[in-house]
Amino acid sequence: MHKFIDGYYRLLSWLLVVSVAILIIPVSLQIFSRYTALIPSYIWTEEMARFFFIWMIMLGAMIGIRDSSHFDIDLWPELSPRANAVVKLFAHTGILVLALVFVWYGVKFVQFGWNQHSELAELPMWYIFIAWPISGATWLLFLGPQVIKNLRVLANGEPQP
Amino acid sequence: MSGGALLTPGVAAIVLFVLFFGMIALRVPVAFALGLACLPIMAIEPRLSPMIVFNETFKAYNSFILLAVPFFLLTANLMNVGGITQRLLRLSRALVGHMPGGLAQCNVVLSFFFAGISGSSTADASSLGKIFIPAQVKEGYDLSFAVAITAVSSVLAVVIPPSILMIVWGGTMSVSIGALFLAGILPGLLLAGVQMATVHGYSKLRGYPTSVRSTFAELLGAIFVAIPALMTPLIIIGGKIFGWFTATESAAIAVIYAGLLSTFVYREMGLKGLHKALLDTGRFAGIALFCVGTASVFGWMLAYYQIPKALLQMVTSWGMGLITAGFFVAFAFLVVGCFLDAIPAIIIVGTILEPIILKVGMDPVQFAMIGIVALAFGLVTPPYGLCLMISCAIAKVKLTYVIKDVIIMLLPMLGVLVLTILFPQVTIFIPSLISPEFLK
Repeated sequence: MHKFIDGYYRLLSWLLVVSVAILIIPVSLQIFSRYTALIPSYIWTEEMARFFFIWMIMLGAMIGIRDSSHFDIDLWPELSPRANAVVKLFAHTGILVLALVFVWYGVKFVQFGWNQHSELAELPMWYIFIAWPISGATWLLFLGPQVIKNLRVLANGEPQP
Repeated sequence: MSGGALLTPGVAAIVLFVLFFGMIALRVPVAFALGLACLPIMAIEPRLSPMIVFNETFKAYNSFILLAVPFFLLTANLMNVGGITQRLLRLSRALVGHMPGGLAQCNVVLSFFFAGISGSSTADASSLGKIFIPAQVKEGYDLSFAVAITAVSSVLAVVIPPSILMIVWGGTMSVSIGALFLAGILPGLLLAGVQMATVHGYSKLRGYPTSVRSTFAELLGAIFVAIPALMTPLIIIGGKIFGWFTATESAAIAVIYAGLLSTFVYREMGLKGLHKALLDTGRFAGIALFCVGTASVFGWMLAYYQIPKALLQMVTSWGMGLITAGFFVAFAFLVVGCFLDAIPAIIIVGTILEPIILKVGMDPVQFAMIGIVALAFGLVTPPYGLCLMISCAIAKVKLTYVIKDVIIMLLPMLGVLVLTILFPQVTIFIPSLISPEFLK
C-alpha cells in the first residue's frame, strides 16, 4: 500500500510539473498571434490556459495533503506527543469531512457537467469537473497513513521511530 | 435574495466566523476551514446546497487573471536557479555594501530589485533567506536581526510592481491593474527607504560590519551584467501600461524572459533546475490558489446573507470621513492579515469594504494601496505571517525568537502606511502623471 501511495504521489508530482510547464504555451501563443501574422489567432487559447490552470491548482492541492503543506495556524504551545496527536487528529477530521464532500457531491458535479461542453474549444466539461472528486479521493488516500500514525502515537504515548 | 433565508445576517455571520476561527484554532488548514465553515449553513438553509462549493470554487479557478500567480512564482524560481538573483546580488553589494551593516542593506536593496521582477513576497523570503541569513550570521549579525530583516524586506514584493496582490485586487474589484502598478512605486520606495534607515540605526547601535567600498569599475561591471535582468520590470510594467499585453500575459512574458536569460545569457539553468523550478511553483501555487477557491465560497455566503450591506449600514451611522475610512480599511486589513493569507483576505474583506469606500468617495486606487500595504504587514505578523514563517523555518528558530526585532522594524513602516492614508498623492500622483485615464 505504501508503495502504491508513493508511486501515485510521484505520478501526481510529475503531472503537476507538466501542467505548470504547459500553461505558458497557450498564453504565449495568444500574445504572438496578436503581433505577428506567422500563426493564426486561436480563439481557444485563453480557455485552454484556464483549464490547465484548474488542473494545476487541484493537483497542487492534492499533493499538499501528502506534504502537509496546506497552511495552518499554530497557536498552541509546545505539546506532549500525545496531545499533539489529538490536535492533529482534529485537523485531519476537518480535512476528511471536506474530502468526503468533494467525493460525494463531486460525483454529482461531474454528472451535472456530463453533457455540457466548453464555450470555445467545445471540450466536455467533465474533463475539468472530475478534478474535484479525484481531489477528494486523493486526500482520503494521502490522509490515511497520517491518521494511522497519529492514532499509534495516541495509543503508545510517544512518536514511532 | 435573503428574503426567504432561514438565518438572519447576524446569526449567519456569527456561525460562519465562529466555525472558521474555531477550526483554525484546532489547526485545520485555513483553506479547508473556510470551506468547512460554510457547510452546516448550506445543509440547514433550504435554498442552499453543498453544490455551491463546486460552482464557486470552479468559478474562482476558471480565471485568466489568477493565472498570473503561477507565472510570477515561476519567474522568481527561474531567477534563483538561473543565476539572475546572483547577478542582482552583485549589483546590490556594489551599491550599498560599504554602508554600515552593508550586508543587511544589500538584503533590502536586493529585495527591492527582486520585487520589481517577481510579484511574490514568499518567493523573495525563501530565496533571499537562504542567501542572507547564514551570510549575516557568519559576519557577526544577530540571528534574530538577520531573520527579521529578511522577512520584513521581502514584503516589498507585494507593494512594488508587478505584484500578485495588485493583479488579484484589480481582477476582483475591477480597478485598473496598470494604475495599481504605478501607484505602488512611491509607497514601495518609501518602505525600502525606511527599512534602510532602520538597518542603519541598528548597525550604528550594534556595530555591524561594513565591507570595503566597491571601485567605480566594479560598480560599472556589476551594472553591466545586471542590465538584462533589470530590463524585466520595464518590459512587464511598460507592457501593461502601454496596453501591449494584459496582466497575465505580462507575467507570461516575464517567465519567458527569465527562462531565456537563465538558459542563454547567464547559462546557469539545466533541466534539473528547470524541473525544480516548475515543481516548486506548482506546489506553492496550488496550495495558495486552492485557498482562493474556498475563500470565494466563504465570500459568497457572506454576500448571500448581505452581510457587507449590513456592515455598511452600521458603519455609515458613524459618519466616517475620508481619513477615518482610510484608517478603518488599514485596521481591518492589518487584523485580518494576521490570520489569513493576503489573496483570500482581498477576496473576502476587500469586497466587504468596497461599498463603504465608494460611499465616502475615496479613490479606488488609494483604497487598493492602503489595503495592499496593510496586507504586506500581515505577511510578517504572527500567528499567520507567511514570510516570517518561511524565514524562521530557514533559520530553524521559533517565531517568538524574532518577534521583537520584527516589531521594531515594522514601526517605521507603519509610518508609511499612515502617509498613504493621509496623503492620496502618495499613491495617486504617479498614475495621474503617466496615465490619468486609468483613474476615475
